[in-house]
Amino acid sequence: MDFPVVDIQSFAMSFGPKEVIKDLSFNVNQGEVFGLLGANGAGKTTTIRTLLSLLEPTSGTLSVNGKRYSPAMAATVGYLPEQRGLYRNEPVLDTMVYLAVMHGLSRDEATKRSKAYLERVGIADKAHERLSSLSNGQQQKVQLGATIVHEPSLMILDEPTEALDPVNRSLLMDIIQEQRAKGATVMLVTHRMEEVEQLCDRIVLLKDGHRALYGTVDEVKNQFGATVIALAYSGQLPINERLYGITKQLPHYAELAWQKGVAVDEIFKFLANSPDLHVTAFDVRRPTLNEIFLSLYK
Amino acid sequence: MWNIINFEVFRALKKKSFWYASIAPVIIILAVLGIEKLSIQSAQKNAQTQDQNYSQSAKVAVLDDSGLINSQLLAAQHIGTEPNKDAGIAAVKSGQLGAFFYYPQNPELSGIQVYAQDQGISISSPYNDAAISLLQQSVAKDVSSATGNSQAVQILEKSPGVTAITYKNGAEINDLTNAIAPGIFAAIFFLVVVLLSYTMISSTSEEKANKTAEILLTSIKARTLILGKIISLMILGLVQIAVLTIPLILAYVFFPSHFGLPAGLTLSSIPINPIAVMFAALFFIVGLVMYIGFVVGLGALFPGGNDASRFMGIAIIWNFVPIYAITSVISSPHALVVTVFTYFPLTAPTTTLLRNAVGSLSVGEAFAALAVLILSACVSVWFAVRAFRYGSMEYGRRVGLKELIRN
Repeated sequence: MDFPVVDIQSFAMSFGPKEVIKDLSFNVNQGEVFGLLGANGAGKTTTIRTLLSLLEPTSGTLSVNGKRYSPAMAATVGYLPEQRGLYRNEPVLDTMVYLAVMHGLSRDEATKRSKAYLERVGIADKAHERLSSLSNGQQQKVQLGATIVHEPSLMILDEPTEALDPVNRSLLMDIIQEQRAKGATVMLVTHRMEEVEQLCDRIVLLKDGHRALYGTVDEVKNQFGATVIALAYSGQLPINERLYGITKQLPHYAELAWQKGVAVDEIFKFLANSPDLHVTAFDVRRPTLNEIFLSLYK
Repeated sequence: MWNIINFEVFRALKKKSFWYASIAPVIIILAVLGIEKLSIQSAQKNAQTQDQNYSQSAKVAVLDDSGLINSQLLAAQHIGTEPNKDAGIAAVKSGQLGAFFYYPQNPELSGIQVYAQDQGISISSPYNDAAISLLQQSVAKDVSSATGNSQAVQILEKSPGVTAITYKNGAEINDLTNAIAPGIFAAIFFLVVVLLSYTMISSTSEEKANKTAEILLTSIKARTLILGKIISLMILGLVQIAVLTIPLILAYVFFPSHFGLPAGLTLSSIPINPIAVMFAALFFIVGLVMYIGFVVGLGALFPGGNDASRFMGIAIIWNFVPIYAITSVISSPHALVVTVFTYFPLTAPTTTLLRNAVGSLSVGEAFAALAVLILSACVSVWFAVRAFRYGSMEYGRRVGLKELIRN
């Protein structure tokens, strides 16, 4: 049975006269990877900051495990903020232990787990060096470690792959999968739709502070997008408004939306018989989240 | 809380700049002592002349129960004698004498008593030097006049203590040696303010610059964090005081003759007024909490350490403003400016510490000023918590006070 780890109901937020979130409701169930999506300025970070009691809502309720979040619940939550940073002039291990102890671990346990994490990500030799002496990628690994070293049951990752190099992006994906396998709930705040398709069970998409889409990835696709024909070709793509419309066209690639009542076979036959066109690939598919996202923001 | 204190204290102690700032005053003081040592010979040469000047410029008389004072010296320096102690004191009070020195039976043990006209603000009256010098010259001139060589050697090796009572218009005025014990708290307060202000302001501005505030605020209450920082800063202040005082105490213990306290003063002769010391300690602690809270709060408002440190001067200067009115603070404690400084939160710590030291703060005023300081410290800590809670997440942006209050 699904249990809402995060429950947000009728949440509204205003900064002075500006209303940035309007009547937002959604929940995140235990053990799922949930995507909170939206363009820059859609209200994603404000929602997370309010969920974690860094901001007070103008109205509505936001709860974690049935209660308003307080620092006393820090042991259960791992938060990777969008604006991230650590103590640049302190040794890596000291910083990780300091933050892990704040998240409820004993000093000994914090030290043990921090060392194990640094070993796992290949920077154990940097444990006693200042963070500022590490490369950007190594600093990102430390930041991730500080988020998960206390093994939280809810991970809230705000734009986690932003500015990550491919190695660290892959590491993050592995970590998310590992934590999920252990039963953790992951809330992923992002505008990278390919990651959402790979990782998320359900999503909510914010637009201008209100909920534009909500559900499983399949539900959202069904709810929003019509199936399209993806065509790879050479030559001249003919126009036939009775059969299809061209929604996207590149020199050797096009996407077609077929007209109501027209069968796919009929379109395929028409294209195959077109004298100036050579079809190299023909695929009938549903729209990607990226396409839905783009069309929403058009 | 312990985790915060541990982290904050040790990361400050690991910084070279902390130790440079702590050790610099010790080096300066030792350098001054060195210069003083070099000039001591010429000072000694001038001492006899000074004594004569004092005795000639103002009438001086002595009463010698020790039998050590050389009568030829008294005659040469035009110093008279008094038949008894009361007569000598009465002559000073009436203005007939500039000073009266009383030498008891064993001055090397019980000290010399000096009764003199007020000479203005000074830790030791210039007559103290004259009284000691007269005794030492007498002993040196005719060792046989001493009751034994060991007494003479003791007097020559180590200046006897002096108890000085001064009079102005016939009324006894406070001996400024009384100001030493409570005054130490004022001196330490200044040192901590000067040496530790940058550490205070950077303790929060660094969180903002490093963008660690969000992680911290989801892990711990802002109030706990700020209190942890304040306690850490007070511990660091104690470390700096220890770094400063331990070498000086050791220097005094092992090299007392090279480490000159004002003439006639010894550590054991410094008077301790328990009430004044208690108030000094309270003003020091509460004043420091208020100041740290204020500076830590400022640090959270500014986007980076450099921006914040520009405003640090404003925070520091309030502690030194009362120094500009030091004459009024000491001699006209009821002047309007002194009253304002005593109760205005940012000037109150310095003013109350100074007034308490010189004895110009009544117990009633002390309690009232303490109440103001406690209230100010609470407001200051509240401000720091709020500034960190709402200001530290505004990365790269200064948060105004209006915005802070509105949140």
